[in-house]
Amino acid sequence: MKFNLIRLGKSLSLSLLLFSCIENDPERPLGEFDSGILIMNEGAFGANDGEVFHLNPSTGTLKTNIFESANARPFAGLLEDIIYENDNLYLVANTGKIEIVNPGDFTSLGAITSDLDQPRSLTVNSGKLFISDYGPYDQSYGTPSSYIAVVRNSLGGVVAKKIPVSRKPEDVISFGNYILVAGSEEGKVEVIDAEKEEVIKTIEVEGSPAVFYEAAGKIWLYSTGSDEVYFYSFHLDNFTLATTNIYPIPNATGKIAFGNNDIMYLLTSSGWPEYRDGIAQVSVLGPELNPNWYSGSGFYGIGFDKERGELYLANTNGFQGNGTITVLDENGTELRSFESGRGPSGFLMR
Amino acid sequence: MMLVVWVMMFFGQEVEKSDTLGLQEIQIEAPAYQEYGRGKKRVSWNKEIVKSYSSRSLAELLAEKSPVFIRQYGPGMLASPNFRGTSAGHTAIFWNGIPLNSPSLGQSDLSILPLIVADQVDLTFGSEGALLGNESLGGAIHLESAPIFNQSPNITLQQEIGSFGQYHVGLKGGYSTEKLGFQNKVYYQNNPNEYTYRDFSEVGSPIKKQDHAAFQQKGFQQDFQWKIDPNQQLKASYWWNKANREIQPVMGSSIRDSQSDKSHRISLQYLLLRRKGIVEIRSGWVKDLQFFNQIRNETSSFFLNADWTFTQSPNWEVRVGSRGSFFSGNLSTYSAEETRIETYQFLNFSGVNKLDFSFNLRQLKYRDKLVPFIPSLGVDWRVSDEFLFKTSVGKGFKIPTLNDRFWEPGGNPSLLPEESWQGEMGFLWQKGNFNSQLTYYKMKVNNWIIWLPEGSIWIPKNLREVQNQGIEWESKLNTTLGQYELHMNWAYTFTHSVNLPNSEEPASFWDKQLPYTPQHQAQGSLRLSRSKISLQLSSQYIGTRATTLDHARLMKGYFLAQMYLGYENIKLGSFITSFQFRIQNLFNEEYQVLYLRPMPRRSFHLNLSIQL
Repeated sequence: MKFNLIRLGKSLSLSLLLFSCIENDPERPLGEFDSGILIMNEGAFGANDGEVFHLNPSTGTLKTNIFESANARPFAGLLEDIIYENDNLYLVANTGKIEIVNPGDFTSLGAITSDLDQPRSLTVNSGKLFISDYGPYDQSYGTPSSYIAVVRNSLGGVVAKKIPVSRKPEDVISFGNYILVAGSEEGKVEVIDAEKEEVIKTIEVEGSPAVFYEAAGKIWLYSTGSDEVYFYSFHLDNFTLATTNIYPIPNATGKIAFGNNDIMYLLTSSGWPEYRDGIAQVSVLGPELNPNWYSGSGFYGIGFDKERGELYLANTNGFQGNGTITVLDENGTELRSFESGRGPSGFLMR
Repeated sequence: MMLVVWVMMFFGQEVEKSDTLGLQEIQIEAPAYQEYGRGKKRVSWNKEIVKSYSSRSLAELLAEKSPVFIRQYGPGMLASPNFRGTSAGHTAIFWNGIPLNSPSLGQSDLSILPLIVADQVDLTFGSEGALLGNESLGGAIHLESAPIFNQSPNITLQQEIGSFGQYHVGLKGGYSTEKLGFQNKVYYQNNPNEYTYRDFSEVGSPIKKQDHAAFQQKGFQQDFQWKIDPNQQLKASYWWNKANREIQPVMGSSIRDSQSDKSHRISLQYLLLRRKGIVEIRSGWVKDLQFFNQIRNETSSFFLNADWTFTQSPNWEVRVGSRGSFFSGNLSTYSAEETRIETYQFLNFSGVNKLDFSFNLRQLKYRDKLVPFIPSLGVDWRVSDEFLFKTSVGKGFKIPTLNDRFWEPGGNPSLLPEESWQGEMGFLWQKGNFNSQLTYYKMKVNNWIIWLPEGSIWIPKNLREVQNQGIEWESKLNTTLGQYELHMNWAYTFTHSVNLPNSEEPASFWDKQLPYTPQHQAQGSLRLSRSKISLQLSSQYIGTRATTLDHARLMKGYFLAQMYLGYENIKLGSFITSFQFRIQNLFNEEYQVLYLRPMPRRSFHLNLSIQL
């Protein structure tokens, strides 16, 4: 999961005004899943068995398959991202659909089930959904036709327009009437005017743009290179680069968790054949930098519970069955572990 | 409740045919697995039964009539066998003695093996690397062409239309003399597969029409046989097959893949009878070309086999031989070649009262690696005229596929062959028109290869040890009811196949039934016929399956039934015609074999054949 969720969780408490698109409904009673931790289980390729689990960290109670339980049908997709915006939860399946559910009880509110290819994430702006999508594969499994799909209803419906962007867009974030797009394959950040529904500016960056987040009143971009990682901030009045921070952390995967005291935890993986996964610790606003904070194998997702100061680390167990979640304290000491769903890949701290 | 009663009463299975061939016929015609497979379970379907499936695929025959669980990704989509709880790659498949499994994938797609090309289908069960060679861990499938000598000229045209737009046409023609025989088979089928299903991936689970599962298939087979003289015989077959398929997406997926498979297959057999024995030279060539979307994968296999069968005394029969195999693959990410040399010895001994033994050995070398010696030993004990007791022990092996070792990135050249040891025992009871066969087996598979992710790259590893055991029971009764003939079959299969504890997987994966391996299967069929009219009801029950190793999700069992109404051998002038009306999924069951891959509900099929 890219940290739209944590980003937006932070935004609720720290900088709500910055993200003017979020409109909470004060009338909605809090539901069972409005607090605790949502565990995103991607599912296995070809099986489409992605699902969401809910953990009550106070009691340790784990509820499995909460989408299927609430809607009497399987999620039936590979769960790529969960986004909490506009008082809705958006479940993005990279197999070609978006499910929109009530965040309190996970009952279905709507969906987008056609005219998408490989959606990755979305943001709500001006009452519309802007969905990043790799687009279809070409003959050599490239994605030359990536786009931002526009759905003119925040509760789903049909794709009204596809805005062409650079290859493999990942995260998207709203600011005012604008949307920033992390173009991962070509190292670009594209700015979209939500009213005009067109790209108005493109910013070149290093590495592979992965995740936007907000800190210290700014929008930041986390981008990964083979030997280092990059953190960019932007001038939001003219959409130019403001600051660039580069850290010598190799093999970062693009998955990131935001801890206390502005510390960030980055997943790394050396890949094949010298396979080793790890977690690096870094702070853009502070002095921390530890490229080898924790190591192991099978890491696939990461999240941080700020209230308890606990890091959640997901292991897929090779997708052969359910994955395992390991909980670490801020010193990297293992506190406990428990079973999750298949292919656990991210967390949303509610 | 009625369905349960029906299942309990009419489990159906064709029981092994008794060894009725004469000694001389066996010596000349019988494949090694029939002659030297004592103590092993075997199930056969003869020409008449295979003919009734000639518009359908091997996958459909096995799913309806065998104890083998068929993993189907959809009608006409990838279908692979699950013998005794092993995986798809643990089944060897032969066509006229030539291995058909892809050297890159290590398995075959049973959906694109049409039964019009075969005259007999045999299944051999359990680990039999000594007798059959590579890949025979769980079992083996044998497609055989029958002898075609001394047949008058004949042409048969068969057409079938069915629900969801299905159309099939097949043409068989043959001519033979005492010395020469020719037979041609041509087939074409088109199935838009536009069946309706409930789409659970969408709000409200609407009923939708399948719009991306169409397939077409065409091909032909030419058989040629020549008795050169009383002591020499030559058989040759050529089979060309092409299948184009839209790959049915899993529910909730927008992927629109397509696949084209084209194959050329040649088998050659030369027999030379001498006073001191029989020399058999067998050769074959298989070339497979697959396009997955635009990705091209091509493999070819060449086999040359020579052996000599001789008898030292009436009680001893020995066959010794060698095989050379050459494989090449030009895949989308790598190219590889491999030569394998193997030598074998099969021995039959009947010198002890009522006991018949088979003892087989094989040694194989590939690249610079030697597969450990492969033995098997089997015994048939003719306890009485009614009882035959069988027992055997054998080893199986599977050389890692070309993909396992050379795929870029991730291929692992240091993989070891998968190995299995299996023992089985059982009896055949035959009394009048009733026979029954009960078999118990126990097997252990080591070095089971699993592909696991290391970061974003998937790597094959010799990871698992799997223990399988089970019971297979089949019975058959033929009788008459007044002017009606009644044929009943019933069968039950229990399979216990578990992943043993290992240090690399969590405990939640240990000691549980393997995914998509039902513990319980049952079948039944009832056929009532009078003169030219017949009515057959058949049914299958497939029990609960887990979708993953830890049983986090269990798929409920399902019950299927079929009805056949036939009117055969009607003379219309110089034509002989036969009609068959078939209903599949008689009770309109909504089911999935694999998770989120819907299968068709009730369908109707009308088959007409005209013989000149």
